[in-house]
Amino acid sequence: MSDSTPASAPLARATLWGLWAILLGLGCIGMWLRITQGHLPAGYGSYAPWGLWIAIYFHGVGIAGGAFALGALGYILDWPGFTDRKALRTTVILSFAAFMPAFLGVWLDLGHPERAAAILLSPNFTSMMAFNAWMYNGFMVVAGAAFLLSYAKQSSWLKPLLCLAGVLSLMFPSQSGAFFGVVDAKPFWNSALMPMLFLTGAVTAGAAMLLAVRGLVRGGDEDHAIARLRTVVLAGIAAYAVFEFAEFSIALWNPSVHAPEVELIMWGPFWWVFWIVHLAVGMALPALLLLSRSRQAWWWGALLVSICFISSRLNVLIPGQATGDLLGLQSAFQHERLTFVYQATAMEYLVGLFLVALGMGVFWIGQRIDSLLAAKAGTNA
Amino acid sequence: MPMTRREVIQSGIAVGAGVAVSGAAIVSARGKQDHADASGPSTVRNLDTLKNIPAKPGEDPLMRMQRDLVKAMAKPMEQRHWVMVIDQRKCVGCHACTVSCIAENHLPPGVVYRPVVIEESGSFPNIKLEFTPRPCMQCDQPPCVPVCPVSATWKRADGIVAVDYDACIGCRYCLTACPYGARTSDFGEDYQAKAAIGADGQAVAGAQATPNEGKPSPEYGKSWDRKGHASPAGNARKCHFCLHKLENGQLPACTSTCIGRATYFGDSNDPDSLVSELITKHNVQTLLPHKGTRPRVYYIV
Repeated sequence: MSDSTPASAPLARATLWGLWAILLGLGCIGMWLRITQGHLPAGYGSYAPWGLWIAIYFHGVGIAGGAFALGALGYILDWPGFTDRKALRTTVILSFAAFMPAFLGVWLDLGHPERAAAILLSPNFTSMMAFNAWMYNGFMVVAGAAFLLSYAKQSSWLKPLLCLAGVLSLMFPSQSGAFFGVVDAKPFWNSALMPMLFLTGAVTAGAAMLLAVRGLVRGGDEDHAIARLRTVVLAGIAAYAVFEFAEFSIALWNPSVHAPEVELIMWGPFWWVFWIVHLAVGMALPALLLLSRSRQAWWWGALLVSICFISSRLNVLIPGQATGDLLGLQSAFQHERLTFVYQATAMEYLVGLFLVALGMGVFWIGQRIDSLLAAKAGTNA
Repeated sequence: MPMTRREVIQSGIAVGAGVAVSGAAIVSARGKQDHADASGPSTVRNLDTLKNIPAKPGEDPLMRMQRDLVKAMAKPMEQRHWVMVIDQRKCVGCHACTVSCIAENHLPPGVVYRPVVIEESGSFPNIKLEFTPRPCMQCDQPPCVPVCPVSATWKRADGIVAVDYDACIGCRYCLTACPYGARTSDFGEDYQAKAAIGADGQAVAGAQATPNEGKPSPEYGKSWDRKGHASPAGNARKCHFCLHKLENGQLPACTSTCIGRATYFGDSNDPDSLVSELITKHNVQTLLPHKGTRPRVYYIV
């Protein structure tokens, strides 16, 4: 980049390490609580069964898919800045680093985590959850194979494998939307736009995270790559805004449809998640930063998108569960887990911090492994 | 370097193979039979309940339903179709069914199979209260079944939607899929842990749980001990029409404890059963019929 990124200075590097240590330290408290007390300190219940960790999960797999799709596409189509193998491997490592915390988050959310392997060993493919899980794992196998092939001097299978992994990386984020879209019991989720919203969110957040990471790692022709990714992030923000408006407009302008979920998103107790985190800090401010001439501003804009786009997941997940078809069910049998109101607890936030620290750690380790393997293979490109 | 012709062909093969495998997985899952429940003569139960007490005209509906139950159990499982009929005109909202269900199935805090939804309409002094007991609807098109990623829940041949507690991973996808909110998750809570503790470190008298809580649940004819977060702790749980009682010739707890005789249970495949008579004689309704789930719980309103 023509002007320095925040991480290029030793101070920034120390800041990142310090941040990681804080995230890990606080996150370990959350993990301790989860391990010793199970689900008891969590805020989710039976009428709002999923919470913050599931939002992190969908955000993580979105970043994994979106970043990989762009990195692979750039390599296959010879986009300037994406053609060297070091950059390709950075994309794969980022994808894996986004996957690991996502998987840990959903694993911790299970009532019986020790049975998680059953999704792979005895899947029911009429369930989008099982289908999606197989897609992830298929993707990881293919992307992992492509990663290893990238060290070979010549391989005619690298690009074909990237094509397959690229298709998979576009499929599973859209399936994340279908995961919600198939739930007829939740009117807000039951929309054909969900797969498109999730795919657009994934590509946008993935591109943003890739831009931020490549600004930090600097392994190749960053100027061209970052310029291309900037365009994708800007287009992604615009597309997401259009899809989101389309979704909301049906609810807001239809005189015969009452959409409590949309009202909850816009005017409910968590209005600030939509207006401030999602729209202002997650879309409008990054768009302004990305439209500026400063490449440092681009980096900050991309970082904001990659973090704040989790609000787009939260704003689907939580409001969708906040209403029920049977009026009076909540008051029929009173218990704090039999309510449509969800509020993440301190334990959930702390575990969330651990997941972020894990992602950062996996990326760092991945980079170190890449350096070792590249040195062993005698290639850096 | 642009892709070579060979790479393009290889890519086509790889992506095509991926699409074919995915398609095959979906098709095979759609055509797959559900759990292979026992069926045929082995499921016939020749019960002698009420055998020596002749039926009398005008006897208590519980007696009639008991006879219907014995008759149904004498058939193979696939020939029974359990349904419930709830007469809302008779329900007084006493919650006896809710409580008896909790006691029967040893349900922990936050888990409820049969809440009674109360709706208030009108304005004072012309207020009307409507009570809607809400068990699992045992839908013929249950939306909770296809979403289960590990086939831990299925529709039995006798109409009951069952859960395999040993297979359920606790993902709670089925909870979101049920439009009736009929599934609750067992998060591992127990009443004893919430008991008020006195100065002597012991639970304050009256605050502690009954010994019933610590006993294993008899659901699905097994003994489920939740100690150490063992199943059904961590699982999705739901009403199963007291399947373990049916197998022993007993009516579901909610039915036998309904003080107003507002809950009826029986085999809708038997045209002479009380439930069949009620369904055909009255203008029955189902909850949320527009959802297309085809519930097997009918309401007389």
